[in-house]
Amino acid sequence: MLGFRSILILSLVGSLAGCVSSRIEQQRVAATGITGDEAVVLLGRASYNDKQTEESFTDCLANALTKGKNPIRLISQSQFMDDLYPWFEPRTAPTSANELGELFSQPGVRERISEYNVRYLAWIEGDTITIDSGGSMSCTISTFGGGCFGMSYWEEDASYEASIWDLQSMTATGQISADATGTSYLAGLVIPIPILARPGNAACKGLASQLKDFIIGDS
Amino acid sequence: MRGFWLICVLLLQGCTTSVVVVGTVPTPLVARIPARIGVYYSDEYKHFRHQEAIRDSGTWNIDLGAQNLSFARNLLGSMFQSVEEVHEPPLTTEEMTDLDGIIIPHIKKYGFLTPSISGLKFYSASIEYRIVMFDKTGKKIGDWNIVGYGKSEGGLFGSDEAVNEATVLAIRDGGARLAIELIDQPAIQAWLKRLASQDQAGSVANSIEEEV
Repeated sequence: MLGFRSILILSLVGSLAGCVSSRIEQQRVAATGITGDEAVVLLGRASYNDKQTEESFTDCLANALTKGKNPIRLISQSQFMDDLYPWFEPRTAPTSANELGELFSQPGVRERISEYNVRYLAWIEGDTITIDSGGSMSCTISTFGGGCFGMSYWEEDASYEASIWDLQSMTATGQISADATGTSYLAGLVIPIPILARPGNAACKGLASQLKDFIIGDS
Repeated sequence: MRGFWLICVLLLQGCTTSVVVVGTVPTPLVARIPARIGVYYSDEYKHFRHQEAIRDSGTWNIDLGAQNLSFARNLLGSMFQSVEEVHEPPLTTEEMTDLDGIIIPHIKKYGFLTPSISGLKFYSASIEYRIVMFDKTGKKIGDWNIVGYGKSEGGLFGSDEAVNEATVLAIRDGGARLAIELIDQPAIQAWLKRLASQDQAGSVANSIEEEV
């Protein structure tokens, strides 16, 4: 049974969160708007180098866009990629909105996209990386007990960009970028106490909110 | 003593990771190539397995034959006017009556990397395919190498699931290249042109026979 003191300590530890600074920027090229029956597809850009947009980030965005005020109808990335195979694979997907015309001329592509009533494609590019880390912490355990002492930290940078393409006009309508940095700490005071900054989560929330406003536009 | 050997065997088994590759098989949305094709899948292709011992992560047994075969069947079935599985070439003239050509896919190489080897956050896989095509007379139309790549985040899955995911994506990537690029190969274009002119000549001959 947990005592009051234990619950207080656990609550304090749970509420410790590192600071995150984030910046969202938007560049609009064309007017946007969406009706209730139109849908959006979020696609994570993958390339065959060391970078790839994490699936957890696109899942977080999808979750935020489909909930709350003015939810947006989303088609899942895997369903869209399967049904339009082989046109949205990492090495075959269009890299700019100018290539949409050629893609739509392929047999069945326009019809399949119309079937889903997809109005916008949002390409999500970026990742979260550790840019700095340091400190030290050691933990020992013996027959008389154990504990951790010291402190370590790591700084993460989450940088993502959404490029929005309108499939009706076959043009790029704009870009939204989200940058967030934060430093997390792990302090060893007998028990290890994590103070976690979650820049990826901050970038997701910021980008999702801006993306929703951008797509809804004046509609 | 028997118990000792049993423990040894169990310990050795513990160092082997077996993966039977399983994934989705999407149907390609491409224009069908107007040709009736015979396809030969060798036993090696049908039951392809990869075994590799990696320092720090033990021995890996990766069975990608079944997934690769079902992917190829679905892919080729959607790419050509008609597809029929045939025995190992050469085929007799009689067997070739209803076929315009033969396609033989091979797996030349398969490889994968774990994050501990690549130093990246991902598990990655690559498959090199060799596709050989012959015309109705058994003359080689062409021979192409296609490499498919796939990668999967290591953090979300166990290592075996991540290798499975990366391999499925590599098969998918190779298939996408084949579905899009085969039709554009000059040798294929020339073969299709020959087929079209033969069809034309055949229909002219038939109409003359009917008139006579």
